[in-house]
Amino acid sequence: MEAQLQVRQPTSHRSTRRMREKILLYILMVVVVFLVCVPIIWLLITSLKKDVEYLSYPIKFLPAVPQWSNYTNVFDPRYDFLKHAGISAGLALGSSILTVISSSLAGFAFARFPEVKARDKLFAIVASMIIIPQIVTVIPQFIIFSRLHLTGTYWPWVIWGIAGSPILIFLFRQFFIRFPRELEDAAEIDGCSTFEIFWRIFLPNAKPVIATAFILNFVAVWGDWFAPLIYLNSENTTLSVVISTAYVNPQGQPLTTLTLAAVVLYILPMVVIFFFGQRYIMQGTLTSGLTGR
Amino acid sequence: MISAKPQLRGASPPITRAKQSARSQRRQRTFYLFISPWLLGFIFLSVIPMVVGFLISLTNYDGLNLNKLAFVGMRNYGTVFKDPSAQYGFSRTLIWAAINLPLWLAVSLLIALLVNVKLKGNGIFRTLLYLPAVIPPVALVWTWKILLEQNFGLVNGVLSLVRPGTAVPWLSTYAMLGLTSIALWNGLGFGMIVFLAGLQDIPQELIDAARVDGAGNFQVFFRVILPLISPIIFFQLILGLISALQQFVLPMLAATSASTKIPARSVYLYMVHVYRTLFGTGRFGQGMAMLWLLIVVIGVLTVIVFWTQRFWVYSEVRGEE
Repeated sequence: MEAQLQVRQPTSHRSTRRMREKILLYILMVVVVFLVCVPIIWLLITSLKKDVEYLSYPIKFLPAVPQWSNYTNVFDPRYDFLKHAGISAGLALGSSILTVISSSLAGFAFARFPEVKARDKLFAIVASMIIIPQIVTVIPQFIIFSRLHLTGTYWPWVIWGIAGSPILIFLFRQFFIRFPRELEDAAEIDGCSTFEIFWRIFLPNAKPVIATAFILNFVAVWGDWFAPLIYLNSENTTLSVVISTAYVNPQGQPLTTLTLAAVVLYILPMVVIFFFGQRYIMQGTLTSGLTGR
Repeated sequence: MISAKPQLRGASPPITRAKQSARSQRRQRTFYLFISPWLLGFIFLSVIPMVVGFLISLTNYDGLNLNKLAFVGMRNYGTVFKDPSAQYGFSRTLIWAAINLPLWLAVSLLIALLVNVKLKGNGIFRTLLYLPAVIPPVALVWTWKILLEQNFGLVNGVLSLVRPGTAVPWLSTYAMLGLTSIALWNGLGFGMIVFLAGLQDIPQELIDAARVDGAGNFQVFFRVILPLISPIIFFQLILGLISALQQFVLPMLAATSASTKIPARSVYLYMVHVYRTLFGTGRFGQGMAMLWLLIVVIGVLTVIVFWTQRFWVYSEVRGEE
């Protein structure tokens, strides 16, 4: 990864001035990175405080004793943390698998069937759906789904997954269009059906796009707050909705630092996914084709 | 890994004509089979809802009155123009976009320039700088609530070290500033990698040539780098504009007052008003009309930005390598 990301630099001898410039850049970089990381550090610190420490004035920067119990208390059966986390994970996983399959199928079709007349017009629709705001469809969709008695169930996520996503179709299409034609022809002569060509030759070679598409969709569904808010009820909703308000104790008082521990656990899977997937995202799978090449 | 290079398409192997047409029909069917999940989704999840949504905007539908549904023509649209809250929300949204977009573009670009310099450990820096972008909205809001909280937040706490008793209401009176910091922090990861991709596409020879000709750092930036990445700025501007005008999650989650359940006045954005019209008062007809008007505005602004392209976006017809 390192090698691909680095910029070509003219080879020149290192003068002391360059050295000094480098040190200054390092300092600048460390300062910027630190500033950007402050909110995350503060979240971690605060999640280890007692509520009274969080609510102290003037501010106490560090907890007297780190309250690791905040993290174990999150799993108290009262909060059903694992149940809601499981629902979030299940929805994200299921819809991502469906979306990757349907988007890659459509992307393959748009890339490899130049002889179909309507192809370019249909693809123009896909491309325009990336830009056209989807907010006008959200409410009517909700009304239609509720008429079909599908609100309160997970069926909308299945249906959204099957329908694929324009931006992912676009990504797959851009990737598949660069495969050499001979590959397809050779496979066809060997008796492969079109689906086999897609499944056994194109898809196995599209791992960076599959990873990117999967990650983008997983992160979006895991983090989505609005759809579960309007579609699901408090019993079967996702973690996003549950922790959008603070956990409360039996007296109804908010337990802020406990909730913050839950928030950290809620972010954690995203960070893990990002660390495993970043080489694909940073490689420019996402940004390829942006400059017109 | 298959080599990625552009190919001439459309040249099929020579076969007899009858076979050819049978094959092309089969390929036609396969094409539609492959895109059918998307196509059906497009029809049932986009086209039909858009039509339904438009029809709703012409009625007095409030979620319950299907038996007393009345066609009101364009009245809902007229009401939007007479609704002071909608106008106020719209003006706040324009201010929101006008503050957020330039700031986001400038900071993302500066950070991209910084991490584009060849330094040891750059990968780690980039990863850490991208981290805020993977934090979902709900967690994002929690993360910043404890920073910007008026009495117990870190920002006022640190300010109090210098000036005791500082209690700036970052999430109510100054919510425009507070939420801008949140949006900026969350957005700079994506902005950075997109700019980085553009910067890495710039041929080093061009920069070297400019330096040989005596250009300093600033000249290199303004005369070489900036024009070459202007297509990226353009792309980011379009995407950013579209999403900024639809912003409502941040005001709803971060700046909603616990007592009134209404987002702070300074960030009472247009979409917040739409949300409250739809779900607060259940006036779906009115709300859909407001949404359609927003779509029209977004469309017009996008077209305007596209039109300005000719004045500032550098383009060259690049041959395929």
